[in-house]
Amino acid sequence: MKNDTSLVSCDADRARSRRRNTDGQRSGWRLRVQSFALPTLHGSGVTAFLLATALILSLSLNLNLAQAASGLADRVVEQKLANGLTVLMVERHQTPVVSLNMTFRVGGVNEQVGQTGLAHLYEHMAFKGTRTVGTKDYEKERPILEEWFRVGTELEQRQRELARKSQEKSASSEDRAAIERLQKRFTELQDQAGQFVAGNEMALLYQRHGGVGLNAATGKDLTRYMINLPANRLPLWAALEADRMAHPVLREFYKERGVVMEERRLRNDDSPNGLLYETFTSAAFRAHQYGIPTIGWESDILSLTPADTEAFFKAYYGPGNATIAIVGDINPKEVMTLIERTFGTIPASPSQPPLVTVEPPQRGERRVEVEFDAEPSLVIGFHKPGLGHPDDYVFDVIDAVLSDGLTSRLYTSLVREKRIAVSVGSDANYPGVRSPNLFILNATPRAPHTTAEVEAAMYAEIERLKTEPVSPKELEKVLNNLDADLVRALRSNGGLASQLALFQTVAGDWRYALKSRDKIAAVTVADIQRVATEYFTKSNRTVATLVKKAGDKHIVTAPKGEVTR
Amino acid sequence: MMNVTRSLTGLGLLAVTCISLMSGCAGSSMLSDPRHMTFKPVEFTPPEPDRVVFENGMVVYLLEDHELPLISMTATMRAGSWLDPADKIGLASLTGSVMRTGGGGGLSAEKVDEELEQFAGDLSVSIGRQSGSASLDVLSKDLKRGLQIFVGLIRTPAFEPARVELAKLQSIEGIRRRHDNPGSIVGREFGKLLYGEDHPSARDSTIQSITRITRDDMVAFHRKTIHPNGIILGVTGDFDKSEMLALLRDVFGDWKKGEAPVLKIADVPQSQPPKPIVRFVNKETSQTHLRLGHLSIKQQDPDYVSLAIANDILGGSSFRSRLFNDVRTKRGLAYSVGSRLNTGVHDQGIWLMRAETKLPSTQEVIARFVANMERMRTELVTDSELAEAKEAYVNSFVFSFSSPSAIVGRLIELEYDGLPKDFLQQVRARVVALSKEEILAAAKKHFNPERLTIVAVGSGEALPKLLSGFGDVKEIKLAPES
Repeated sequence: MKNDTSLVSCDADRARSRRRNTDGQRSGWRLRVQSFALPTLHGSGVTAFLLATALILSLSLNLNLAQAASGLADRVVEQKLANGLTVLMVERHQTPVVSLNMTFRVGGVNEQVGQTGLAHLYEHMAFKGTRTVGTKDYEKERPILEEWFRVGTELEQRQRELARKSQEKSASSEDRAAIERLQKRFTELQDQAGQFVAGNEMALLYQRHGGVGLNAATGKDLTRYMINLPANRLPLWAALEADRMAHPVLREFYKERGVVMEERRLRNDDSPNGLLYETFTSAAFRAHQYGIPTIGWESDILSLTPADTEAFFKAYYGPGNATIAIVGDINPKEVMTLIERTFGTIPASPSQPPLVTVEPPQRGERRVEVEFDAEPSLVIGFHKPGLGHPDDYVFDVIDAVLSDGLTSRLYTSLVREKRIAVSVGSDANYPGVRSPNLFILNATPRAPHTTAEVEAAMYAEIERLKTEPVSPKELEKVLNNLDADLVRALRSNGGLASQLALFQTVAGDWRYALKSRDKIAAVTVADIQRVATEYFTKSNRTVATLVKKAGDKHIVTAPKGEVTR
Repeated sequence: MMNVTRSLTGLGLLAVTCISLMSGCAGSSMLSDPRHMTFKPVEFTPPEPDRVVFENGMVVYLLEDHELPLISMTATMRAGSWLDPADKIGLASLTGSVMRTGGGGGLSAEKVDEELEQFAGDLSVSIGRQSGSASLDVLSKDLKRGLQIFVGLIRTPAFEPARVELAKLQSIEGIRRRHDNPGSIVGREFGKLLYGEDHPSARDSTIQSITRITRDDMVAFHRKTIHPNGIILGVTGDFDKSEMLALLRDVFGDWKKGEAPVLKIADVPQSQPPKPIVRFVNKETSQTHLRLGHLSIKQQDPDYVSLAIANDILGGSSFRSRLFNDVRTKRGLAYSVGSRLNTGVHDQGIWLMRAETKLPSTQEVIARFVANMERMRTELVTDSELAEAKEAYVNSFVFSFSSPSAIVGRLIELEYDGLPKDFLQQVRARVVALSKEEILAAAKKHFNPERLTIVAVGSGEALPKLLSGFGDVKEIKLAPES
């Protein structure tokens, strides 16, 4: 047997591997988070699915389960600071470690046209330090950064102008000379600024103090920052995080934007699934921001400026927009004293501008194809209501009936009996939860069977939901699995912290899981038939297929707007 | 299977003897500059599992944990694809897969799936290159039935013909899809170049080899390899030790001893004289997907710890590493960049550097990799790099004991590999004592520029020219898998 030798990482919070179907995916309440700030070396660019099951159990469970989990529910300590910061804590004293999860209510949905990818770029920039950490002398560094950002912004504007003029054949030698001068100054300033950078100092401090699993992730609805530490290092965490909530400095901006471009290429452009889902999602949403890839469109990423990024931080990263969840070997009283003395001094921030765009009803099937040098696959989505709508719980049940496990309907029919697919899956909450979203189905056909055959077979199962009542045994199975998942979700400090913060952020209440469990338990056979009939219609669906590219290849070149600096 | 972070479980005190790199007191530092904070080492005595050996040779580790009403067990089995016959590559893996899906213990495949999923029991079986694993995770109320099913699948799997056929068809489709992702192509081709494509550590199934495998082959493979004396079982969760032992004796005690396979993998002879190998695979991509490296040492090697720390500083520790800082932070040329030392005790390890970068920066990234490797070989690491590596290792040590299943799992891995149970503690002692000179010596000896194998997946038109400065470039033509 053989493994990576990585002297600092460990599997502290690695999710237990569970295999319910061949996709390795699990059904249930799930949140798609598009991008991690930091790679693991094992990363293959696969989108992470964060299991978002729940925290507590309720009455209909047998006594044993209910005691175990509700006991833990009683242990959640909830506090709110005067500046609006929410803190959730659970004591767990088995091991002298602590998991910290800081989640902000900001993500892809808060971006404007022309600035897509901004939430994710900010998340990367948040690792560049503050006025104290990450710098050798901030007072000297500051004026250089300011000039550098001015020059860089002007340089890029002029470069875009030149590109346009070149197309019109009206570019002059003065235009080029001006750009050359700016480019020279840009490089000088970048080098000067670099002299003051203490590279990755924040991460280095965490690592030196035994921190593991330092990471961050940006989704449609939220952005989260995670770390696990030996329990007595909490003061280090509070000092670093309060500082970055108050005084981040956007160092190494242009290089990091280049890193994000490489991340985009890795996850979306060179990945058949990445490109399929990006295309599918933007076809399904015409108006709402859910249609925009969280990582951003290439041209937008390359136009993001330090000023945009700074403004985004000011609008969305205030304490009132954040939840901190802390699970581990802690004393909540002492933790609150620490948090008051650090985060408590940060002024309250203005409330978020409201999201106004609502996706108009879909009036007809949409079909898109993606050509790729890869074998075919398929994803289908139906618009549906988001979090809190009564029908949302019905979709959770449908999701489990269709694709949870080897005995689920889609697996049984498409994989085992017809043998036309090797894997199938579904997700009741794609790609976010705060706004109306999609119920999606996906499948990997088995050659020589086609995506068309697989699609037809999936519709047959969807029709069955409308016409045939789901059996009581299937409903019982769904609930048994949900209840077991609720207990399993309590196993790891990091998992628990992430879920408390998640529900607090998207539902405004960490108890959401408890409440939703009972609503799911109350779903009836008639509800399923009604919801299937109402939402699973041809005119409400978007179908995307990955098509094997045939014949001549186009030559891939580096985008014009990106010069190596 | 092992890495240095695996635990020293069972040996008591964890961090008490911690080196005093960051000693001091936390209380007074509350509001001070995070760059100058100091803390006492964390003290922790991890719980110690029981180890019991049944008469038939099966080893059982048990550790109670009553926080949640869950029980989890994993059987590590001495079986793997090193045993695959040359014309039936894929046999071990398929056997593992159908042990899970093909029914057993008197229950039909359908009945097994139905029952398990009805009570939300998780059961998996898989057989990898150097070991097999079967695990069960159930609510404690479902232990008895879950265990019965688990034992049935391990001891008397039925290999129902329909499930055998299904597993083969799925495996074949997986093979057909191997070239979809550039990342999987580069990893596979890199491994094949290093070990040779017929070596047990690199060889792969083909559609032909899977097609040849029959149900009889699987039945025979199971009968020949899966024996109680080749199994180490770890059980954690909400149970009483003596009751659990009685239960386990009931279901496993009458299983007769057999001849467990010997895990022995031949070393790859080094080509003499060594020379760099440069290969590319043509695929339409926006990035060049890169791997550079060569075969490396085993974990028993006396240089293991110094080489692991050298790799940590070079590219193994993400943010802290030189490659991350140079290629990603300073140059903005890659998202996922670093180096790995992939080591085990049974076959030679692999040391590699990796990144994905846009086509025009391919040469620059390779040049930086080579330059950083050279620097490791010619200059001492700095005092602060060494101190940071040591602190990170020592201070994060406690995470090796983060849960009962982590504690038991690590002990089982050590025993499977024949390493001492205080292996991790020995490593830690070595890390603490390590000098810059030892790191330099290890880097000089074990990072060899003249042995570098470079594999790039990307544009077939541009790559040969971009790679030509690094050696004699040849194309790997992927045969279509059909």
